[in-house]
Amino acid sequence: MSTFIKDFIERETINRRNFLLATAAGMGAMAVPFGLGGGGAQAALTDPAIAWSYRDRASAYWNSIVSGGEAFVESLGKPKDSLVSLINEGSSEKSLADIKAFLAKTNGKCAIACDANDSPNARPVVEAVRDAGAYISTIWNKTDDLHPWDIGDNYVSHMTWSDEKPAEQTARILFEAMGGKGGVVHLGGIAANNPAIERLNGLKNALKDFPNIELLDAQSADWDTTKGTELMASFLTRFGDKITGVHCANDNIAYGVIEALRAEGIEGMPIVAYDGNPEAVKLVMDGKLLATVFTNPHWGGGITAALAYYAATGAFKPSEEPKEHREFYGPTILISNKDAADFKAKYLDTVPSYNWKDFWGPGNGQIKYK
Amino acid sequence: MPRILTRENAIRWAPLLVLLALIVLFTAINPSFLSQRNFARIAIAATPALMVAVGVTFIIVMGSIDLSMEGVVSLTAVLFCFLMLALGGTLASGGWIAIPVILAVGAAVGLVNGLIHVKLKIPSFMASLALGFVGTGAAILLTGGDIVKFNDPTFRALLTWRILGFPLMVYVAGLCLVLAWFIQAHTRLGRYFYAVGGGEELAHASGVRVRQVRMAGFSLAGFFYAIAAILQVAKLGQAESVTGSNFMFMSITSVVVGGVALWGGVGGVWNTLVGVLIVAVINNGMVVIGLPDFLQAAVLGLLVIIAVILSTDRRSVAFVK
Repeated sequence: MSTFIKDFIERETINRRNFLLATAAGMGAMAVPFGLGGGGAQAALTDPAIAWSYRDRASAYWNSIVSGGEAFVESLGKPKDSLVSLINEGSSEKSLADIKAFLAKTNGKCAIACDANDSPNARPVVEAVRDAGAYISTIWNKTDDLHPWDIGDNYVSHMTWSDEKPAEQTARILFEAMGGKGGVVHLGGIAANNPAIERLNGLKNALKDFPNIELLDAQSADWDTTKGTELMASFLTRFGDKITGVHCANDNIAYGVIEALRAEGIEGMPIVAYDGNPEAVKLVMDGKLLATVFTNPHWGGGITAALAYYAATGAFKPSEEPKEHREFYGPTILISNKDAADFKAKYLDTVPSYNWKDFWGPGNGQIKYK
Repeated sequence: MPRILTRENAIRWAPLLVLLALIVLFTAINPSFLSQRNFARIAIAATPALMVAVGVTFIIVMGSIDLSMEGVVSLTAVLFCFLMLALGGTLASGGWIAIPVILAVGAAVGLVNGLIHVKLKIPSFMASLALGFVGTGAAILLTGGDIVKFNDPTFRALLTWRILGFPLMVYVAGLCLVLAWFIQAHTRLGRYFYAVGGGEELAHASGVRVRQVRMAGFSLAGFFYAIAAILQVAKLGQAESVTGSNFMFMSITSVVVGGVALWGGVGGVWNTLVGVLIVAVINNGMVVIGLPDFLQAAVLGLLVIIAVILSTDRRSVAFVK
């Protein structure tokens, strides 16, 4: 064995005595803040910098999130570009590095809204923010064991969306349009994604009440239009006329399904989708889609930034709020043919102006863990 | 009488035999695989991918690689939709002008790719990969992340109008394939691609202007990517900044599975056609026989490896890099 490797192993092997000493030191250090009276007095920040950390600009969803953040900073009398975009491009490492850089640049005088890109990344992110004395609110991704009240006032809130119930509602609309009988196929999102799992579960819940409807198959179309057309075409070969309804995990997949059916000259197949994108709402109005579900990313983007900002300025103290104000579900709106025109007028043609201090009004209650 | 069962013949026909074997296999498991309607579905899925793969075939025959297709397809698809809508939104109202314009844009982007590669002496995989990112970025900038819908019924006839059960776009792709074959087999440029791929120094010493041939190759590839973009819009009725995604893996896999050697000088557009059909048949067949989706990626990978083993003459190369 080379001396280099040997030295390395010696250095890396934990010596029992050192381990005990280090543990004792660590426990002692942890006890110190408690001895000083909880989290200690934190000075409220005046005029903190505001940032949004998110995945990319290649989708309508994230653009809408950012537009909400911009609407919020404008409500403070600041220009749009005072909202700093930290774009992680789907990399958790970049997400954490960007946030650390922003904390260093502002010397901790900042409020951050963030989707941590994946669940395990949420903990290092909120811990870095806490250590810098800044404030953060997160959406979508965090592990089930991470809670704002365990981290302290600096981790203001977490919002996510429960997709199971709305997906069940769209499934019921679909089954009723199918006359309560026939065969349905489900084209899902990326199999390991939480929303994809919840949306399929919603469909399965609805199936329990419709014994004459058979789930022919459920496969992943990766949230993608092209994959959606090709999967639907293959389903048509496999099941043919047995397919009398299609349940899609999002609007993009539904666009592909509609094109696969158009290629075959099939008209009037009942289809439901999810996301409430403008094109999908138009398809609902035209009767090409039965229903879709809107999660209001504009409001989500604005309110997440607002929560972090107002906690930072001391407008409210997170630890004095009940748990359902610190972990809650975002709003979902079901859009069907009856209300699509109203929805379009209210949410898409004009962007509604929100009261960015009404933090919890539109929410859907405290997050439940299974 | 010349011997038919030589080793060379076996390797030359291996991709086609693989394709036939797959069709027999899938049909045995689910007979509805072998239906004219399903073949039309496979053809629709394969058509834009075929155009991308034909484009990159020229580059691979030259012994280079082009990884810009995703960005170029996204950018040209988005530009095509914007231009069509700006020109009145229908083919009849003057929108047809968008078609030659976009083909020229594709060729120009390819030429830029070639210039970066040749003039700045940057390896082709690096230059093209970078240019692909530029293309995707430009598409995001143009669309702001939104979807551009384009649903002129005349244009969509490429998908909806059928002749002998196959949509029009399949015949358009067929004509483009014949054009590609003509370039490959009956033009000086086509022969030069093989000369450069077979031995660049030798070609250079024989008076072939290798740098110009390379630039022409990249430009030609860009032209075919633009055809793919137009057919993809015809297939989906929309364009967005991710329209080109997945084409990189799909096209390069198809080219190699079809028996075009990555080290250059071997194979051609007919190999590519067979390769694209193999990949499309596998993708369709796996769903048709009811293979669970968590197995599909693994099975696709295994079948691709088997197809490459069967269809390339590895005894003739000293080493593979």
